Amino acid sequence: MILLAITAATPLLLAVLGETIVQRSGIINLGIEGMMLTAAMTAVLAAQGAHSAAIGFLGGMAGAAIAGAIFGVCAIELRADQIVTGVAVNLLALGATGFVYRELEQSAVFVRSVPRLGFDASVPLAWIVLPALLALLLWRTMFGLRLRACGENPEAVPSVRAHRWTALAIESALTGIAGAHLALMLSSGFAENMVAGRGFIALSIVIFGRWKFKGAILGTALFGIAAAAQYALQAMNRGIEFHLLLALPYVATLLILCGIAGRVRPPEALGK
Amino acid sequence: MTRAIVAVVAALALVAGIGALFGHAPGDLLSILLGGSLDETILKTVPLLLTGLTIVVAFRAGVWNIGGEGQFIAGALAAFVAARFGIVAALAASVLAGAAWASIASLLRWWRNAPEVLTTILLNFIAINLLGWCVNGPLQEAGARYPQTEALSVALPARGEVHAGVVIAVAVCVAIWWLLYRTDEGLRLRATGFNPSAARFAGIDVDAQIFRAMAVSGGCAGLAGGIELLGVTHRLFERFAAGYGYSGIAVALLAQLHPLATLVSAFFFGALATGAGELQRSANISATVATLIQAVVILTMILFGRRSRA
Repeated sequence: MILLAITAATPLLLAVLGETIVQRSGIINLGIEGMMLTAAMTAVLAAQGAHSAAIGFLGGMAGAAIAGAIFGVCAIELRADQIVTGVAVNLLALGATGFVYRELEQSAVFVRSVPRLGFDASVPLAWIVLPALLALLLWRTMFGLRLRACGENPEAVPSVRAHRWTALAIESALTGIAGAHLALMLSSGFAENMVAGRGFIALSIVIFGRWKFKGAILGTALFGIAAAAQYALQAMNRGIEFHLLLALPYVATLLILCGIAGRVRPPEALGK
Repeated sequence: MTRAIVAVVAALALVAGIGALFGHAPGDLLSILLGGSLDETILKTVPLLLTGLTIVVAFRAGVWNIGGEGQFIAGALAAFVAARFGIVAALAASVLAGAAWASIASLLRWWRNAPEVLTTILLNFIAINLLGWCVNGPLQEAGARYPQTEALSVALPARGEVHAGVVIAVAVCVAIWWLLYRTDEGLRLRATGFNPSAARFAGIDVDAQIFRAMAVSGGCAGLAGGIELLGVTHRLFERFAAGYGYSGIAVALLAQLHPLATLVSAFFFGALATGAGELQRSANISATVATLIQAVVILTMILFGRRSRA
């Protein structure tokens, strides 16, 4: 059951890792929900088009990159408000995927079963390889030092925009894999609004993990196991309490936010 | 003003273009989209106006209330419970419940420094599931056939389909304008949003100011939920909020955070929502085009200059 929980929480972890990097560079990206949703759809389109799950993952990354680029142009280049931009990206993804889904609903793309990977590499990638690589990048390289400086004191870094774009590109790749994993491995295709708040939960786990990768893994694992326990409870008890159980992860995240957020220090220039 | 017109034209052109790509004649698409019935448009304008004002008040005070959706539900739930005491009690309860739901976020911000952007979003999900529990459990209709409540026996007075909530919403709109631009409280609120450190230096109790702004903001969203229940749906069901809370952000930004302009902007999005429903019925085009247009409007407003806050 733990393994199932870990697998199910893999897209969430990828999103948390991406958002951690981005927030370290001083950007709060609320549009992560929309990036994942876009990726889920482009992953299915690409996988069906090429009859290959691997191409599907690339398609997911491309979709997330498009949504990420829209966010970046507004929030990094034009220095528009990051929260408003993030909300707009989410609405854009919800509207665009909803429109395309209905247009192509009858065609085979969303009916035929999606190709799957023989071996689900995303799980070890997300839980071991990527956190190690990202931690090395962030804490052991000159680039990582500068990236963190962009989040703490951007005036001290000559190329803030380049560093923030790089962070956003990393996040796009990660959320692209996350969306593809969600649509191709965990579900059997695309469904409207299928990300269902995972992006927002990822934002909270970033804070819970105190903007560190160990914290990100721990927070996501706790959350994944709690979610799995909730499904197990739900299967046993089909009564009305099921809806209260559905609210539980959000209450837990809320408690985490106020239990911990008072004592942690976010990157100084976050959101600026 | 120019920006708003550019944003609207750009969004409509883009949607017509995308529609054309998928083989829908742009002229037909736009005429259905903008040609919805006036009565239904007015009905859709009411909640959008109030959730738009929710955002206007919060953003003017510099606080990120993304929780309109949850406050809308809280208001409707309270109105449903209080309806047995009459229509006035139900409306009052909806305002109080919306304000209380928003105040959870401002309390957590004050007490634990929890960012209200995130707590208001989380409170949306909690409210949605609370509503789901209520309509499947304690408040479910007799016979328990569908996940919905009984229809209320009280309702807002109406002429044809259009109910008295229109008058209430417009009155609230004018009142919010009065509050923001004609009172000391409004000046302090805007000063807090414009520059919190300067406001603090000028002797404004910023925390209390934000707390009051959040309560007013949430009260508007709660009232929107109460009016929607008492004037339109008459009963609660799972997908009651229908995205009005998030749409309010587009409404407020198109109005450049001005309360009176919000009236025009809400009417525009109300017409769009009506037309989008018609598109889905008659041309099988997803009604999410309304969401798409909201997004494009926000993005164009951003592209053509930075948001004015003063």
